Order: sequence, then C-alpha cells, then structure tokens
Amino acid sequence: MPRLAPSLLRQARAIDVLLPPLLPACRDLRSAENELRWLKDHAIKTGRQCGLAHSDASLKRLVARRARGEPIQYILGTEYFGDLELKCQPGVLIPRQETAASVTHLAQQLSKKRKGRPSDLHILDLCSGSGCIPLLFHHEFYAQPGNEHCKLHMVGADISVQALELARRNQKSQIAAQSKRVTAQTTSLAAMRFLHADVLLSEAANAIHAPIGVVEALQQLTNTRPTPAYEVLISNPPYISSQAFRTTTARSVRNFEPKLALVPDNPSSAPSALDGDVFYPRLLALADQLRTEIILFEVADIDQAQRVATLLARQSTWRTVEIWRDEPGATSDEADHVLLDGGESVPVRGAGNGRSVFAYRGAAAAWLQ
Amino acid sequence: MWRKIWTLSLRTRGVQAEHPRLFTTTPGKPEKALPPRPKILETEIDESFLRGSGPGGQKINKTSSAVQIKHLPTGIVVKSQETRSRESNRKLARNLLAEKLDQIEKGEGSRMAIKGARATKKKASAGKKARRKYRKLEEEKGVKGRVEGVGSGGDGMSSAVSGDTGASYTGGGGGEVGPATGAG
Repeated sequence: MPRLAPSLLRQARAIDVLLPPLLPACRDLRSAENELRWLKDHAIKTGRQCGLAHSDASLKRLVARRARGEPIQYILGTEYFGDLELKCQPGVLIPRQETAASVTHLAQQLSKKRKGRPSDLHILDLCSGSGCIPLLFHHEFYAQPGNEHCKLHMVGADISVQALELARRNQKSQIAAQSKRVTAQTTSLAAMRFLHADVLLSEAANAIHAPIGVVEALQQLTNTRPTPAYEVLISNPPYISSQAFRTTTARSVRNFEPKLALVPDNPSSAPSALDGDVFYPRLLALADQLRTEIILFEVADIDQAQRVATLLARQSTWRTVEIWRDEPGATSDEADHVLLDGGESVPVRGAGNGRSVFAYRGAAAAWLQ
Repeated sequence: MWRKIWTLSLRTRGVQAEHPRLFTTTPGKPEKALPPRPKILETEIDESFLRGSGPGGQKINKTSSAVQIKHLPTGIVVKSQETRSRESNRKLARNLLAEKLDQIEKGEGSRMAIKGARATKKKASAGKKARRKYRKLEEEKGVKGRVEGVGSGGDGMSSAVSGDTGASYTGGGGGEVGPATGAG
C-alpha cells in the first residue's frame, strides 16, 4: 500500500483531529470525511438511545476501531444493499454493491416477458450469508410492474449458523417494513426460508451430523421424497483462490471478514491459483438435480467467469450463456463477447469487471428470450 | 374506572382548547409552494458510480456510495456522496442537477433563487424584530435610569438619558446577527 503524503495528513488534521486516524483505512480525504460523518451520526444516535448527552468518548472508540481496519459496516451494524438497509455482524460476509447490481438485473430480466412464465417461481440461493440476495431479489421483483400476482417461493441455504440467524433477522425487519395488506409480495416474503445445509456435501454421507446436503434439506422442508424443482438457482459462493487470498484480497477483508465465505475450505488437488473454483461444478450438479432452468453465479473476475462459462458450454444443455459485468445494465466500450477455450463465443454485458455468469435452458428459454 | 378518568381528562382538555390562549403567536401567511424542480430525462444523463479501479466483489469491501451524474446537453457534472445508500445518493444528485439547471434557465425566478430570497427575507425580519425588542428594552432601562436620575439630582439626568439611548443604538446595531440567531 502506498504511504500517505504528510501534507494530506496535515490537511486532514486542519479539518478535524479525528480525520488523520481514518485516512489509512479510507485512503482518501473525501471518503474519510464521509465515514467520520457517518460515525458521528451513529455515535449521537446510540448515545441518545442510552440517554447520554455527550458522545465524544464513544465517537473516539468508533474511530479507533475503524482506524484498525475494521469494516465500517461492522461498526455501524448495517449496509445498504440496493434499496434495502440490511444488518451486518462480524462472522458474516458484508453484502457487496456489485452483487446488488447483478440481482437487480436478474429481477429485471425475469420480468421482461410474462407470457409463458409460470405463476409460481421457485428460487434457491446457495451460500446465502446475510440473506441479501433473496431479500433484494424479492424487493426488486415486486418493484417491476405486472409481477404483483406472481408468487415467489424462496429458499436460502448456508453452512454457517451465525449467517442463518442474521438472515432470519434481516427477513424479519423486511417483513416489518412491508404493508399489512396480504398480497403475493407479503406472503412470499413471510414464506422465505433459510436452511442449514452444506453445498459441497454431495451424498447423504454423514446424515446424522449437521449440516446435511442441500437436496436433503430441501426434501425435509417440503416433506416430499422426489426432489422439489427450483427453476432459479442463484449463488455467490466462496470463490477466492488461496493464492488470491494471500495476494489481491484487501487486508480489511482478510482480517475481519469470515474466510469461510471467501475461500472454499475444501480445496481439491487444483493448483492454488484455481482452487477458488471448487463450488461451481457442485452448483451445476445441484442445478441438474433440482431441474433448474436459470442460473446466476457470482465470480471474482473475467477469467473465472470464462472458466465457469466453459463448464456450462461442456454441459451443452444450456441454451444461452452470458457473462455480466459489475453493472450489467450499463453500456460500455469494452468487448461485447469473449471466446472460450472450446471456441464458443459468449456475450459479455455491461460495464466494469467480470462479475457473474448467467445461463438458461429448457422452458425458461421461451419466456426469457 | 381508568377509562372514565381518561375520557374525563380528554373532555377537560377539549374545554381548555376552546378558550383563547393568553399568549399566541400569529400564524404567518401560508407560504406559496415553491415552483417544482424541472424534470430530468434519464436519457440526457450519464451516471457513474465512483468506486475506483481494481478488483471488486468479495476481495475488497468498497464503502463508496458516491454517485456522479453528467448532464449531456450542458456538460454539467454533479456528485453526491452524502449518504451511505447509493440509491438515495442517486436521488440527491438528480435533485442537485435539477436545481442547477433551473437556476441557469430561470435565474431570479428559479426555485433556488426563490428559496434563497425567502430565507434572507425571513432572516432580515427576524433581525428587525430582535433589534426592535432590544431597543425597547434599552429604552425602558433608560426610562428607569431617568427616574432614578431624578431622584439623585437634576443635572445628571440629561447626560444619563443621552448616554443610554446612544448605547441602545449601538447595541441594536451590533446585535443584528447575535439576537437574530438567538431568536431563531
């Protein structure tokens, strides 16, 4: 990390003595000023709740935590994810803006054509963490006109009990924010479930020990033997390779966010630069078992996106495969397609870094195209 | 029983409300609504989220919620990073741009100009009221001083009065800002 110019520190001190300690974490004066303002607001708000008139001491404590590199979302306890303000807590990955952009775009894509679309959509989010993906998808889907009578059956699954608890709390506060009128929107939100399951567990090998596999957990939920169908499968799995975790991952992320949500902890014999791909073949196997027609998987960059797209091309069941960038709806001057190793051309949509892989097949092709 | 007391207290309150209050502030004239902000077409702006280069996603935790929009016909650029929510920053940036365009287009008649003029008027009238109040106070003090002066001796009276009124004027003048903010 480049060192901070002493003139910048002097400039910061002239504005507020609490700014210089924030600079190493924020890197620039503008974001340090923004964060100090938010920390101040938080200190005043929490101070008022405890009946304290002065919040100076607590503000100093908050600044000290941020100065050590702790993410501001853990300090303030929330993060904005699209339109939603979701709770955050140490031990659970903080939702990322780019994920919100992908999920919003997916909700828009699924709302473009309603003719031929089933009136009930089953959506599964694997590695759901804070629950941000199903909650935002729900919000964005019903924000689109013409979707008010469509029912969403949404399930999130995660291996971390802590994450599941947070997701359920986030669900509760979203329910509280809804209108009291009973609509498809409110019932879909209330019926959302978060299950304890291990995505990488392929068979009912150790059924006695929790967590169980995804298919089993879903069977237990619906209480049916044949595996239920989920038309849509979304996942933001741990995708950072052990090499990238050591080199290109930010220190604040490495030191404060759960490694379980970042790096697959079951590395195969793959070299350390590629061991971040562990989840994707498993997610595709689950997509087959659950008769999934639409998938959206988050990836680290364009290279990983191409590797995942290659996996999909090899399956040859997918009618369309696309790579989405950070802002999938935006236009950019960058290349609008990439060539895979097998020679297939895959369209790349939007602006920014390669962020997710989107594909569909079967009956969904009729109403998505 | 509790309900009875409750209804009773409600009733007494109602009775009280019917009586005119001793100290009332005259309600100001209802303000005319500000002219609306001009609508901005989404096709006329170029929006970008300032998040810098480098990797995104899980590898980094970017806190920037800043939004920058460029108005393509005029080339005006506005930026908003007020809140942690990018969605509210998007709205704030659009409002800011709308006000800027309005100001350029209508000048004196623009929303911002009218808003600003109202604020200065309000401030000026508050200042005026404050000055009047302090002048009155000083005058009362002066009258008191004169009464006391009469008691102490005939000659000192005129000088005491002129001195007091002089002080009240300078006090009033200097208080243009101070009492106005205090009254507000």
